[in-house]
Amino acid sequence: MTALIRKHAWVIGLAVLLALLLALTKLIQPNFGAPGLESLARSALPFAFATAAMAVVVIVGGIDLSVASMMAVCAVTAAVLMERMAGVPALMIVLAVGLAMGLVNGALIVLTRVPDIVVTLAMLFVWEGMALLILSSPGGSVAPWLSGATRGPFLIDGLPMALVIMALAIAIVWLPIRRSKLGLAIYATGSDPLAAFRSGVAVDRTKIIAYGICGLFCAMGGLSLAALTGIGEPVPGPYLMASVAAVVLGGVVLGGGKGGLLGSIIAVFILRIIRTILTLMAIDPNVTTIVEGVIMVGVVMLGTALTLRGARR
Amino acid sequence: MTRILTGAAALAMSVAFAPAAFADYTIGVSNTVQGNGWREEMICAMRAQALVEPDVTGLIVAHRNTDSAGQLEDLNNLIEAGVDAIVLNPSNPDALNSALEAAMAAGIVVVAVDAGVTAEGAYILSNNQEEYAYLGARWLFEQIGGAGDVVYMRGIAGVSADTDRHNGFRRALAEFPNVNVVHEVFTGWQQDQGKQQMFDFLATGIPFDGVWTSGIDNVIVDAFVESGAPLVPIVGADNAGFVGQLQSVEGLAGAAVTNPGSVGGAGIALAVDILNGNAPASNVVLVDPVLWDNTTEDGRATIAAAQNPDLDPEWPVSTQIPGWTDYTLEQIIACEGPA
Repeated sequence: MTALIRKHAWVIGLAVLLALLLALTKLIQPNFGAPGLESLARSALPFAFATAAMAVVVIVGGIDLSVASMMAVCAVTAAVLMERMAGVPALMIVLAVGLAMGLVNGALIVLTRVPDIVVTLAMLFVWEGMALLILSSPGGSVAPWLSGATRGPFLIDGLPMALVIMALAIAIVWLPIRRSKLGLAIYATGSDPLAAFRSGVAVDRTKIIAYGICGLFCAMGGLSLAALTGIGEPVPGPYLMASVAAVVLGGVVLGGGKGGLLGSIIAVFILRIIRTILTLMAIDPNVTTIVEGVIMVGVVMLGTALTLRGARR
Repeated sequence: MTRILTGAAALAMSVAFAPAAFADYTIGVSNTVQGNGWREEMICAMRAQALVEPDVTGLIVAHRNTDSAGQLEDLNNLIEAGVDAIVLNPSNPDALNSALEAAMAAGIVVVAVDAGVTAEGAYILSNNQEEYAYLGARWLFEQIGGAGDVVYMRGIAGVSADTDRHNGFRRALAEFPNVNVVHEVFTGWQQDQGKQQMFDFLATGIPFDGVWTSGIDNVIVDAFVESGAPLVPIVGADNAGFVGQLQSVEGLAGAAVTNPGSVGGAGIALAVDILNGNAPASNVVLVDPVLWDNTTEDGRATIAAAQNPDLDPEWPVSTQIPGWTDYTLEQIIACEGPA
C-alpha cells in the first residue's frame, strides 16, 4: 500500500491540489456547481488531448512543437468534411489524417536524424500553412451530434459528459498500448535509447509509432475544438505551450522515460481551474498570466524538493 | 497630479451618489488579443465607461491572447462569476454561440463589439469593417490616378475582421480595373513584422505606386523614411502615430480611416442601457468609418484637431464615440475601471 502511494505520490499530490482548488472555487463563488464543472471539463477538453499528445512524445524522449498546428489541421478538416458528408466517416478520416501527420513527423525525425525539436518546429509551419490552405478563414460546420456530445452531464448530475469522453478516448488509445510490449518499448526508448536498442527494442519504429499516437491525440484535440466551437479555425490556438506546461506539471520528465498521462491530465484541470479562480476574483488580466506562471513553477519546484527529500531518506 | 485629483473627485462623487437609487451591475468583458494598441484602447474605454456609469459597480476583465475555444472558457467563467452583462470582442461570429446562449438563458445581457455574433438575442455594436477597407482603398486608387500597382498589407489570415476588410478592398478593386495588387502580405497586425516586410519589399526594387495597410501604418512610413525611398500615397488607420505623420512627414500623401477602439466604451454604455430597460430598436448598431486625408483642406483641419501628445502612438485618436461614451480623455488614458 505504502509502495503504491510512493509510486504515485506525484499524481496523488496533484489530485489533492485539484480538490483543494475546487474547494477554493466553491468558497469564492458559492453558486459554483454542476454547470461550473461542466464548463470546466469542456474548456479542458482540447488542452487534455494536446497534453496527452505531448506526453506520449516526451515519454519516448522527444518533443513535438507542431501539436497546435496539427490540431488546427484536424479541426478545419473536420469542419470542411462535415459540411459535405456524414459525421461518422468524416470523424474517421480526421483521426486518420491526425495519425498520418504524426507518422510523417516521426518518420522525418528518424530518417533524417535531425533533432526532434528542429523537425517539429519546421512542421509547425508546414501544418499551419496546410490548415490555411484547407480553410482560409474560420468556417465550415460540425455534425450537430458532435457539438451536442460534449454538453451536459453523463447519467448523474455533476459528472460532465466532456470528462467522460476525454477519459474514454484517452484510455481506449493509451491503456492497451501502455500494458503491451509497445508501451514498454516507448518507456525504454525514452529513458535510454542505446540500452533499449541493445535489449532488442526497435527504437526507430517505436519513435515513429509514438509520434503517430501523438498525431492521433491531436486529431481528437482538433475534433474537440470543432465540437466546442461548431466551426473550424485555421489559426492554431495556445495549445503548444499549455501542453508542455501541463506535461511538466504532470510529472513527465522532459528527458523522457518517466511519468504518465494521468498526472498530466490532472495538471490540465489544475491550470484551467486556476484561470477560473482568477476570473472569479476579477484579478487584472495582465497579472493573471504572471500568477499562472508563478503557480506552475512553484508547484514543480515544491515537488522536486519533496522528491529529493524523499530520495535522501 | 491632475490625474490623482480627477480620480479622487470621481471617487468622491461615486461615494456621494452611491446611496441614491442606482443599480448595482457587474459587467464581464472578454477579449482575445492582448498587447495591440487598438485592443488596449478598447479595454481602457470599457474600464473608463464602466467607471463613469453610476449603475456599474464591478467589472471583470478576461483579456488574453487565445482562440475561440479559449474565449468560450472565459465566457463560461464570466457566467459562473454571476455577471449581469457580458461585453465581448468576439473571435468569431459563429463559434461562441453555445456560451452566449447559456448566458442569455441565465438572463445575462450580451453585447458584441467590433465584430458580430450570430447568437439570437445578442446585441452587436461594431465598426463597419468592409466599409473601412472600401473607403481607404477607393481613396488610394483615386489618388494614384485610377491606374497603377499597389502593395496590399493585410492583418491576420483567417480572422473575420481581415476577411471583411478583404471583401471591401476587393469591392474597391473591382471599380478600378487598371489597379493591380503587386504584393500582398499579412502583417499579423504586428508593428515589427509589417516594418520588416516593407523593408524587404523596398529592397527588391519592384516599383509601386501606393500602399494600403490594415492599420499597421506608422512603421510603414518609417520604413520609407529610414530607407530613403521616395514616398508613395499610404492608407492607414487613425492611430495616433500615423495621424501625426500625416501632419509632419514632408511629402507624404496619406489618409487615415477611423476605426475607433472606443467602441468598447460604447458597448458598456449599450449594456447598461439594456439592463435599465432602454434597449435599442435594432439588435445591430453600426458605427461607420470616416476618412481623413492630408490632401484636402477639410482633412487637414480634422487631423490637426485630433492631435493629442498624451495618447499612445498605437492607439486610435478617436477616443470617443459621440452619443455613447461619457468619460474624459484623462479617464481613458488612466485606464482604470470600478474597483
